[in-house]
Amino acid sequence: MSWETVIGLEIHVQLSTKSKLFSGGSTGFGAEPNTHVDLIDMGLPGVLPVANRDAFFKAIRFGLATNAEINQTSTFDRKNYFYPDLPKGYQITQMAMPIVGKGSIRIETDNGEKLINITRAHLEEDAGKSIHDLFEGETGVDLNRAGTPLLEIVSEPEISNAQEAVAYFKAIRQIVTFLDICDGNMAQGSMRCDVNVSIRKSGDKELGTRAEIKNINSFKFIERAINHEIARQIKIIESGDSVVQETRLYDSIKNETRSMRSKEEANDYRYFPCPDLLPVVISDDELNEIKNNLPELPKQKIKRYVNEINLDESEAKIIAASKTMANIFEEACKKTKDSKLVAKWLVGDVSALLNKDNIDIEESNLSSSNFAKLIERITDDTISGKIAKSVLEEVWISGDDVDKIIENKGLVQIQDETVLEKVAQSIIDNNPSQVKAYKDGKDKLFGFFVGQVMKETQGKANPKSVNEILNKLLK
Amino acid sequence: MSIRYKTIKELSYMLKNKEISNKELIEETFKLIKDNQYLNSFITLNKEKALEKASNIDNTSSLLSGIPIAQKDLFCTKDLRTTCGSNMLSDFIPPYSATVIENLENAGCISVGKTNMDEFAMGSSNETSFFGNVLNPWGENLVPGGSSGGSASAVAAGLVPAATGTDTGGSIRQPASLCGISGLKPTYGRISRWGMIAFASSLDQAGPMARTAEDCAIMLNEMCSHDPKDTTSIDEAVPDFTATLDESIKGLKIGIVKEFDLSRLDNAVVKVFEETKRHYESLGAEFVEISLPNISLSVPTYYVVAPAECSSNLSRFDGVKFGKRSMDPINLEDLYIKTRSEGFGDEVKRRILIGSYVLSAGFYDAYYKKAQQVRRLIKNDFDEAYKLVDVIMSPTTRGAAFEAGSKGSDPIQMYLEDLFTIPANLAGLPALSIPNGMVDSKPVGVQLIGNFLEEQKILQVAHSFQKSTDWHLKTPDGDKA
Amino acid sequence: MDKKTVTTISYLSRLKIDKNNEDKITSDLENIITFVDQLNDVSVEGIEPLTSPLEKIAKTRSDKVTAKNNKEIFLERAPKSNEDYFLVPRVVE
Repeated sequence: MSWETVIGLEIHVQLSTKSKLFSGGSTGFGAEPNTHVDLIDMGLPGVLPVANRDAFFKAIRFGLATNAEINQTSTFDRKNYFYPDLPKGYQITQMAMPIVGKGSIRIETDNGEKLINITRAHLEEDAGKSIHDLFEGETGVDLNRAGTPLLEIVSEPEISNAQEAVAYFKAIRQIVTFLDICDGNMAQGSMRCDVNVSIRKSGDKELGTRAEIKNINSFKFIERAINHEIARQIKIIESGDSVVQETRLYDSIKNETRSMRSKEEANDYRYFPCPDLLPVVISDDELNEIKNNLPELPKQKIKRYVNEINLDESEAKIIAASKTMANIFEEACKKTKDSKLVAKWLVGDVSALLNKDNIDIEESNLSSSNFAKLIERITDDTISGKIAKSVLEEVWISGDDVDKIIENKGLVQIQDETVLEKVAQSIIDNNPSQVKAYKDGKDKLFGFFVGQVMKETQGKANPKSVNEILNKLLK
Repeated sequence: MSIRYKTIKELSYMLKNKEISNKELIEETFKLIKDNQYLNSFITLNKEKALEKASNIDNTSSLLSGIPIAQKDLFCTKDLRTTCGSNMLSDFIPPYSATVIENLENAGCISVGKTNMDEFAMGSSNETSFFGNVLNPWGENLVPGGSSGGSASAVAAGLVPAATGTDTGGSIRQPASLCGISGLKPTYGRISRWGMIAFASSLDQAGPMARTAEDCAIMLNEMCSHDPKDTTSIDEAVPDFTATLDESIKGLKIGIVKEFDLSRLDNAVVKVFEETKRHYESLGAEFVEISLPNISLSVPTYYVVAPAECSSNLSRFDGVKFGKRSMDPINLEDLYIKTRSEGFGDEVKRRILIGSYVLSAGFYDAYYKKAQQVRRLIKNDFDEAYKLVDVIMSPTTRGAAFEAGSKGSDPIQMYLEDLFTIPANLAGLPALSIPNGMVDSKPVGVQLIGNFLEEQKILQVAHSFQKSTDWHLKTPDGDKA
Repeated sequence: MDKKTVTTISYLSRLKIDKNNEDKITSDLENIITFVDQLNDVSVEGIEPLTSPLEKIAKTRSDKVTAKNNKEIFLERAPKSNEDYFLVPRVVE
C-alpha cells in the first residue's frame, strides 16, 4: 500500500508594529505581565477597536512579495469562542474579505524548486497567554499579547512531506524578515504554525480526513510532528479505522501528537461582520508608495551582490540567506568600501564560528557596527588579517568593542619600517646558514624568515612590510 | 422656589439670576430623589461628588452649567458604579468615563446619579432590572417603558430636568411616550459610543430625555462630538441644534406611513393622533401618505440582528477579568456557565440564545444574512420616502403605559411594543417622541422620524408643536403653571 | 427547536438552562424563531447585507504606543487575581 501525504500550513506571523492592531497598547516582548494592556485590549465594557493602519501596510508588503491579490477594501469579522486569554470572548479577524488574496512562493526541495500556492493572508488579533504551570490548581492569564497584530498565512494543501513543510516555513520566515514585517524570532513566538495533515492512497484524487496540529514554533518540531502524525494516520487506516477530524497538540518531549481535550469540535465560531469596524480602504497612492519602497528580498540582493559588487553567487547566497547577515554585510560595505573582503570574512570565518557553535547569526554577539569596525581595522592596516582572526574570536565570546580588544591586548600592527628592519636584520644575522641556503636557491626558506619575524613581533608585524623588507635585505 | 418639573432653560435662568445657588439646586435635587425613592429610578447616587462640583462651579455661559442630570446606568462613569441593570456588573467600577458623560460634564452638567434600566438595555418596561422594577409616576403600578425606564421616570417625576438614555429599538422614545416627556435618538453615529456598554453595536445610540424638545436640543449640542475612539462616530461638524427651532413649518411635508395600519390601534390612541395631525395642519404642514413596503418586517429583522450582536457583545462577561464570578467553580467550564447563568436575567439569556442560534453554522444565511439584507430594503424604503416628505410621523407606542406584569410571559408581546420605533434604528435615522395627548389619564407620545443627519428638522417640528400646545406642561401633579 | 439544538446553543453561549425552565425556554425560543421566520418569504435577490447604517469607510490610527501601564487598575477589578495575573481554575489542554 503506498500512501501520499497532503499537508497545508497556517502560519501566524506577529507583525512588528509598535502598537497593537486595535489599540495603543505596546507590542514589546518580555514585559512584566499585564503591563502592556490597554482598556481596549482588556475588552472592558464600552470599549471600541480602532484599526492600526501600519499593520495593513505590513500585510500588503507580504502580498506584493508573493505576487498576491491585494484587496484594497477589506473588512473584519468576529470569531466567537470562550477562552481565558481571549478577553472579549471573540477574536477580531478577517474571514470574508482578507487584505491579501491568492499568491505563491517558491521553495527548495530535494527535487528542485517547487511552487506552493498561498490561499490568503489576513489580519487578526492575537490572544493573551495562559500560564498553566505556575500556580497550583490555577491558570494565570497575561493579556500583554492580547491584541498584537497577526498575519495569518494559509497555504494550499500542496505540501507533500515534512521536508517541504519545513522548507515552506523557512521560506515564509525569510520573506517576512526581509520585508521587515516580523522579527522571525521563533523562540519568542513571533511565528507559530498550525499544520493540517491527511493521507490518501497514492494516485487518489480525494483528500483524506485531516488532523490539525496546533501551535508549533520550531522547524525541528514541525518535521517531527508531521512524521509522527503521518505514521499515526497510516496505522489507523491500515487497521481498518478512520481518521477523526480533530485538533491535536504536539508533545515535543514524548514526540507524539495527542488530541486536545477541549470540546473544540463542538465549537461553532458563528462568524459575522464586526459592527464596530467599518471597511478599511487602502488608496492607490498608498499602495504605490508601498510598492516603491518594498525592502529587497533575497533574490534581489543576490543579483545585486553578484552584478554590482562582484561577489561569487555562492558567497552572495550565503550572505543573503538571512536578513541579519545581509544587514551586517551591507553596513560593513558602507563603512569599509572593501566589499569583497567583508564577504570573505562573513562567508569564511564568521560562518565557521556559527557552525561551530550551532547558532544563527541573530544569536551571536556580533553586532553590525563592531563587525564593520573589525574589517575597517584590517583595511586601515591597524591589524593584520591573522590578528583579526583572534580579535574576532574574542568578540565572539565577549561582544566587546573591537578597538578596546586591540588596545587591551596590544595587538596594533607594527608598521614602523625602521623597527621591522631592525628585527629582520637581527633574524638574518642570527641565521647565517639559512641565509646562505636561501641565496643558493632554496626559495622556500623565505617563509622561514617571515615566520621568525612574526614570532619575534608576536605576529604584529605588517606582513606586507615584512615581505618587502626581507626581500630587500635578502637580495 | 420649587425646582420640581423645571426645564433646563428655566433652571439655568434661575441660577443666572441668583434665584437659587448651585449648591441649593443640587441639595434640592437630592431631596426630591430621596422623597421619591418609591419610583426606584436610581441605582446609584453621586451625592458627594455632585455637591463638590456644585460648590466649585464657575458659572460659565453654558446653559448646562450647574444643571443636575441623571445618567443611564449603561454609561461608564469613572470611579462610580456602573451596573447596566445587571447582577453581572452589580459591583463594577469603571476606570474610565464614556465620552458622552465627559462631554456633558465638561459643559458644566452635574451627574447626580445612575438611573435604573432594563438589564443590558433589553426590555420595554423596565421590569428586567436586577435592581427591581421602575415605576411610572403617572399611576400606580404602571411601567415607565424601557429600557431607559429610570431616566424617563426621573424626568417625568420632575426630579431632574433631563437625563441621558440609550435607544437600540426604541428605548428612549417608548419610555418618553409612556412617561409624557420628550426624548430623542439622534442619527446613528452622532454621539460617540465610547464608554456605552454595548448591546447591539449597529443600532445603539445615546440621546437626551427632557421635558421639552428645546431642552433635548440643548443637551444634544453637548452630547454630540466626533470621537476618534469610536470609528463609527460621524465626523461631520455638529450643528447648533437650537438654531432653527423657531423656524416656521409652513409648507413642510409630513409623511404618514400607509403600512402602519393605525386602524388596529385603540380608538383613543387614534383619536389623539388624528388631533395632532389637525394641529399640524393648522400650523401649515402638509400630510402626504407614503409607503414603506418592507416596514412590517422591521420587528422580526430587529429580533435577528440585535440578539446576534448582543450574543457576541456579552461574551466578555465571563467572570475572568471583571464583574461577578460564581463561587467555587470546579473548573473553567463551570466558571463560565455558572457565572453567566447566575449573572444574567432571563430576557438577556433568551436574547443571547437567539443570537447564538441565528449566527450558528447552517442558520447564518437564512437568518442573520437575510435580516441584514431586509434591513437594507427598509433603509432603501426610507431613502425613497424622503424624496417626497421632510419628516415622517407616527404614534410612538401602541398605547399608554400598561401595568407591570400585564404583558404575560410571552416575550413577543413585549417585542411588539417597539413596532413604531424599531425602523428608525434599523435605518440609523434620527427620531424623537414628544407628548401629544392623554389616553385613560395617561400620557402618550407622537414620533417624528427625520432623514439622515436631520435632527434640526424634527426638533423644529416638535418645538413648533410645543409652542402651541401644552401636553408637555402636564405633570403627574397637575399642569405646570 | 429540539432539545439537542437548545443544548448546543446553550453550550455555545455558556448558559445553563434549569431543568424546570427548560420547557419554557424551548417554547419561548421556538416562538421567537417562528416570529422571525416571517423573513423567509421576502426576496432579497441582489441585495447587499447592511452591516452598518453608515455608508463610510474606516478611520484608522497611526502606529503609536499610547497606553500606560494599567496593571493595578485592571487586577484590582478582577474577580480573582494575584499581583501579576488574572486567575482561573486550571485549564487542561
